[in-house]
Amino acid sequence: MTSSTANGWEPELEELQQRRALMLRMGGEDRIARQHSQGKLTVRERIDRLAGSGSFREFMSLAGSGTYDEQGRLTDFSPRASVDGILKLDGRKVVVSAGDFTSRGGSGGGGHGGMGQELPSNRRALEWRLPYVRLLDAAGGSVRSFEEIGRTYLPDGNAGSAWDVKLLRAVPVVSAVLGSVAGLPAVNACLAHFNVMVRGTAQLFPGGPPVVKQALGYDITKEDLGGAHIHGTISGVVDNVVETEDEAFATIRRFLSYLPSSVWEMAPRCEPDDDPERREERLAAIIPRNRRRTYDAHRVINAVVDRGSFFEIAPEYGQARITGLARLNGYPTGIMANNALFGGSTDVAGGEKVMRLIQLCDTFHLPMVSLADEPGFNVGLEQEKKGIERAGARLVTVTNDSQMPWITVVMKQVYGVAGQCQQRPSGMYRRYAWPSAEWGSMHIAGGAAAAYRREIAEAPDPEAKLREVEARLQAIASPFRTAEATGQDIIDPRDTRPLLCEFIEEAQPILRSQLGPTAMPYRP
Amino acid sequence: MAEVRAPVGGKVAQIHVTAGARVAEDDELLLMESMKMEIPIHAPSAGTVGEVRVSLGATVQPGEVLLTLA
Repeated sequence: MTSSTANGWEPELEELQQRRALMLRMGGEDRIARQHSQGKLTVRERIDRLAGSGSFREFMSLAGSGTYDEQGRLTDFSPRASVDGILKLDGRKVVVSAGDFTSRGGSGGGGHGGMGQELPSNRRALEWRLPYVRLLDAAGGSVRSFEEIGRTYLPDGNAGSAWDVKLLRAVPVVSAVLGSVAGLPAVNACLAHFNVMVRGTAQLFPGGPPVVKQALGYDITKEDLGGAHIHGTISGVVDNVVETEDEAFATIRRFLSYLPSSVWEMAPRCEPDDDPERREERLAAIIPRNRRRTYDAHRVINAVVDRGSFFEIAPEYGQARITGLARLNGYPTGIMANNALFGGSTDVAGGEKVMRLIQLCDTFHLPMVSLADEPGFNVGLEQEKKGIERAGARLVTVTNDSQMPWITVVMKQVYGVAGQCQQRPSGMYRRYAWPSAEWGSMHIAGGAAAAYRREIAEAPDPEAKLREVEARLQAIASPFRTAEATGQDIIDPRDTRPLLCEFIEEAQPILRSQLGPTAMPYRP
Repeated sequence: MAEVRAPVGGKVAQIHVTAGARVAEDDELLLMESMKMEIPIHAPSAGTVGEVRVSLGATVQPGEVLLTLA
């Protein structure tokens, strides 16, 4: 084939072909069959599916362990347990690092260290300023590597993790959990701005069932210990749970579509296909007058954002708050709402979601839209045990440290310190209120009994006195009384989308002036 | 075909539609009751009601399919 042009380099070119072919075998036929029988794709199938028709420029593909005969000729080769490279997703390049479970269970080791090592993929993403996508299917360190190197080693993984931490302040990072993931890869699942997990075939834990058995003495299955039902709903360790690996890849592409390639760029605006002036009639009546009736704030979100553009993050966790990304007149934006269906009251879980969204928007220069109906921080013993006050202090801190343009629309309630976190006193901040709004440092019901305790107790008819005090307070609770004194703008709910689109347009030059790393570090 | 699911656990208090009914986007399809609150369930898109999978007074789990829309 190349004999006439290679001018004597034929053996080397053939060896290159041979090594590439051996590398593509991954961990061998048996292990690939086992991977498939578990309902999982191989690492190379995953990269093909993620990229679609896009290109994949692999790096370090010749790294691994070769065996040689007496003449020093290659007889066999095992690739390292990771496939890394740059691929194009929807027209934009990203760095991908994908664990190969068929090779050494995706475990590290096999590398030789020392001088001359090629740049690892996380550092390449940082230097190239490209989003970083991890496809995790690896069990972390293995004691087998101790025998291979004839010693143990200090767990100095932070030499590598330090770069993963820097990445969080520079480029979008996404992790997909696609198998049983333990050890450092399990932590890497969360060293990300967003993560996704496949139900049934993926689990996540620092140590799996044998480690639990050794430490705590009980038997538990992988799925019961760290399956999607734990992490998507109860622990909140995983944002979005999907049913198939293909759905995981589609979810990664969707998340990244709202974000810039790095903090030095503006998020990509897409051609708007929805009228920014659209007035949605149903918003006039969406807040029920009847206090026994509730409503789903998803309906409000979907009515105001560009049609079909809402992407929800962590829909099954901390459901009192809804968080996600959307577009307004084509501009990507963060959006959040209290969800009255689940009480709407910010608890530790909902507050965590909100903090992560604020940090995401601040880091990547997206404006924030908040649709508020906040009854106040969740009260009760459960929340005390989880530390609602410290969670509240963190929410106050993150809210005040953020700098991106922010607009709040008060749909109904804003009460207490959680309500306070719907406002930011610095930077480009705007607030509108619907006529259904009501607010205060505390609710009148409950608050009246506490603040007027003596008057009520000393009255001849305490019940009647309480009702009288409450009626007096209710009479002055109209939002128009506040507007008279403070200038608070109250709007027809049907004008919400046009006003949001106007604000997001006005926010663009401010966002442009904020490009680059921000003062507040992203904490996962 | 779209599945309309219960957002929270609760009781089916009213059913406004039957199989074959044409509905517009955002029409109220059912009313649920949970924690003494009334929760209206709206059509996520326009379409025809395929199958109503719950009966009046039934207790449903969060995520349970209430009806299908074609």
